Amino acid sequence: MPDVSDKVINPVSRQPGNPSVPGSSLSFRHSSFPLTRETILLALTVLAAATASFAFPRSFPTWPNLTALLRNMALDGVMACGMMVLMVGGLFDLSIGSMFSMAGVLTAWMLGVLPGGVAVAAGLGIAALGGALNGWIVAKVKVNALIATLGTMQIFRGVAVLVGGPGISSLSAGFGRIGQTEWLGLQSPIWLLVGVSIAGQFLLAKTRFFRRYYYIGANPKAALLSGIRVEQMQVFAFVLMGLLAGLAGIVFAARVGTATSTAGDGAELRIITAVILGGASLSGGRGTIWGALAGVLFIALINNIMIFARLSPEWQSIVIGCVLVLAVGLDRLWAPKR
Amino acid sequence: MSVAPPQPLLEARGIEKSFSGVRALHGVHLQVRQGEIHAVLGENGAGKSTLMHILAGIFPPDEGEIHLQGQPARFSNPLEAQRAGISMVFQERSLAGPLSVAENIFFGRQPTRKCGVIDREAMHRSSQEILQELGMEMRVDALVENLSPAEQQMVEIAKALSLNARLLVLDEPTAALNKSETVALFKVMKRLASRGVAIIYISHLLPEIYEICDRVTVLRDGGYQGSFELKDISEDALINRMVGRPLAELARRPNAGLAKSAPALEVRGLNDRLLLRDISFTAHAGQVTAIAGLAGSGRTELALCIFGARRITSGQVLVNGRPLSIRSPKDAIDAGIGYLTEDRKEMGVFLQMDAVENAAAAALDQFGSWWMDDRKLEQETLGIARRLRFNGRSTQAVEQLSGGNQQKVMLARWLLRRPSILVVDEPTRGIDIGAKREVYELLSGLAAEGTCIVLISSELPEILTLADRILVLRGGRIAGEVTRSEATQENILRMAALGVESRQATTEKLRGAQCRM
Repeated sequence: MPDVSDKVINPVSRQPGNPSVPGSSLSFRHSSFPLTRETILLALTVLAAATASFAFPRSFPTWPNLTALLRNMALDGVMACGMMVLMVGGLFDLSIGSMFSMAGVLTAWMLGVLPGGVAVAAGLGIAALGGALNGWIVAKVKVNALIATLGTMQIFRGVAVLVGGPGISSLSAGFGRIGQTEWLGLQSPIWLLVGVSIAGQFLLAKTRFFRRYYYIGANPKAALLSGIRVEQMQVFAFVLMGLLAGLAGIVFAARVGTATSTAGDGAELRIITAVILGGASLSGGRGTIWGALAGVLFIALINNIMIFARLSPEWQSIVIGCVLVLAVGLDRLWAPKR
Repeated sequence: MSVAPPQPLLEARGIEKSFSGVRALHGVHLQVRQGEIHAVLGENGAGKSTLMHILAGIFPPDEGEIHLQGQPARFSNPLEAQRAGISMVFQERSLAGPLSVAENIFFGRQPTRKCGVIDREAMHRSSQEILQELGMEMRVDALVENLSPAEQQMVEIAKALSLNARLLVLDEPTAALNKSETVALFKVMKRLASRGVAIIYISHLLPEIYEICDRVTVLRDGGYQGSFELKDISEDALINRMVGRPLAELARRPNAGLAKSAPALEVRGLNDRLLLRDISFTAHAGQVTAIAGLAGSGRTELALCIFGARRITSGQVLVNGRPLSIRSPKDAIDAGIGYLTEDRKEMGVFLQMDAVENAAAAALDQFGSWWMDDRKLEQETLGIARRLRFNGRSTQAVEQLSGGNQQKVMLARWLLRRPSILVVDEPTRGIDIGAKREVYELLSGLAAEGTCIVLISSELPEILTLADRILVLRGGRIAGEVTRSEATQENILRMAALGVESRQATTEKLRGAQCRM
């Protein structure tokens, strides 16, 4: 049972709340568009795309490049949707990269002994369970999300290596169809992203259920006293995250035909970066699915342009790092002063 | 032959202080002599803390002078006050838990050897000396987080002394102590006073003040009510000075009459792990049932227990005669109970969200079964806002609203929900007079419409204005009930602070009741 009374008896650290954000209130009811991280990001994306089109007019603004860009960002985008829900609720998950790999490897391994559909379903089930484990540790045992998912991140990676060794290859063609089917010239991961993000945007913005995450992120104690089941909601967000990371991992294994135990390495920080660029805050309470997608798109775009510019991948990290610090920093500087 | 009074150690004259237009202190005087234990007495909100914060240099007075041993003193930060010899021991302790006793005493000023290496031996030796002077047995290498609250307080006092404090301010130091710890603290205080240290002692427990203090200064509503030798003033006279303001701005609400119906809320034999003992009471629809009591008497804890936000170890809560098992605030809300928190900022508002979003928090499921019906939500909320005479912008983050408007948003949250039982905890804390009156009118109106209101308040005039019945809590138990007709500030306060028996017996009981563990 929740017990908030300790805080009442002993209000030790009375902080003046989170630094406020420009645009003052949450984005789900008001579409007023002042200078926020989302606007900065949008401007930078347009700028980068325009510059690249000007610099590489024959290779950058082309259909093949666009589909390649979309394909590269698709699975990150799927995971970013889950991460955005978590971060709106004031949480995050570092274990998604490991989950990505573990779900692929375990599904590939089960394909050897089970019918395809069952193996995939079981893989998704394990991913959901892994998410539930994260949720239980954070919401019920009250371990900080950073520590909890830092732990499970290593557990999941360990399981992937243990079961799959370096990787499981020569997967069946039937399984491969999950990741390779094309429709209207776009591969299935892109359609997956379209489906997940449209559904996610409407669910997070419009439904009663998901709206509770904004309240939980803004002030979990007040949310609890308003009758929101904070712990259950937190567990559910982690389950959703685990499921989406697992789904992305399985689709990835199907697309490349191999489930490697190093897949998804570093995905967690890349996606958290994207989601923060897209308007989320570590202290919770703000963000939209469109924002998360914009963040992922921006990172994929920078990556894509770097390749045309023949710059080494290190430049990509430097650019993205600068943009992250700048975007969040400007956000703070422009916040209303008190 | 008369002895000329010694020059006071500290003299504050004509202190004025306002916070964003609200006057907190007005023409306050305070004179503290060397080696004296001086009580500062007043109700919640009387301005005690504000005055102490000014003395400790946390903020400057708007007007008035402070003299320290005849020299004008003006502190722009706590460090300057400390250097001048004024140290405060706050209710909220400022120790570093994972560090040792000695490290805390010399925090930031550890004696060093060459190259800035901390000289642990010197530090331990000096700490030992200070603790011995205070007559305390304590290992100087013990971690502060492993100490009892009483011991932690001693460490704070030792820390203040190591700063050569000449004036020590103790803010409700016995609130967390049991009887023997209190006795030990008093011994230390007397020892310090005999060495010439002056002590300002803030408390509203009269027996303690009579036991330990020499003089008392009384504040009421930020104004100065006089300083007295305690041996010259009776308890009754003191209580009168403390609460004797003209009764509330608003006429008492009309009596709801005796309840004829079955109780809307009934609590039977409720206990919690630490504080509440065997609480039983009923509250009726259409009435305002007030729960009075001093800070620490368990008022808020009781409300949280009823609302499912605090664990109870035994007992039952019945709503409209039906026993309920309430395990979370959600269960309570589903059963028709609402709770307006006293800690608006920490546990009430969502600071970055706007008024409509804030008001909707407890009623999300009333607006659409799956999709949110934002238009309906906005319409209903704005309707309620008009009824509450909310005069902020509904699209502004509530963080930027005044306290009164924030409180109206909190009330709107429950009006949207329409609970049959509404528990309001300090409903007018931190809001101005105008908003206060509106809150009173609203609560009266809700009661008239048949809501069962449970009012928790530390402001006696507020209770006298609104309540039909008054339950008094003391040390986690119900000390008694006062009916509307016999209620006065004096008899409520007497029951809350003293009990009805003789002073001697009560002093003992009070100590006992404070021992919560």
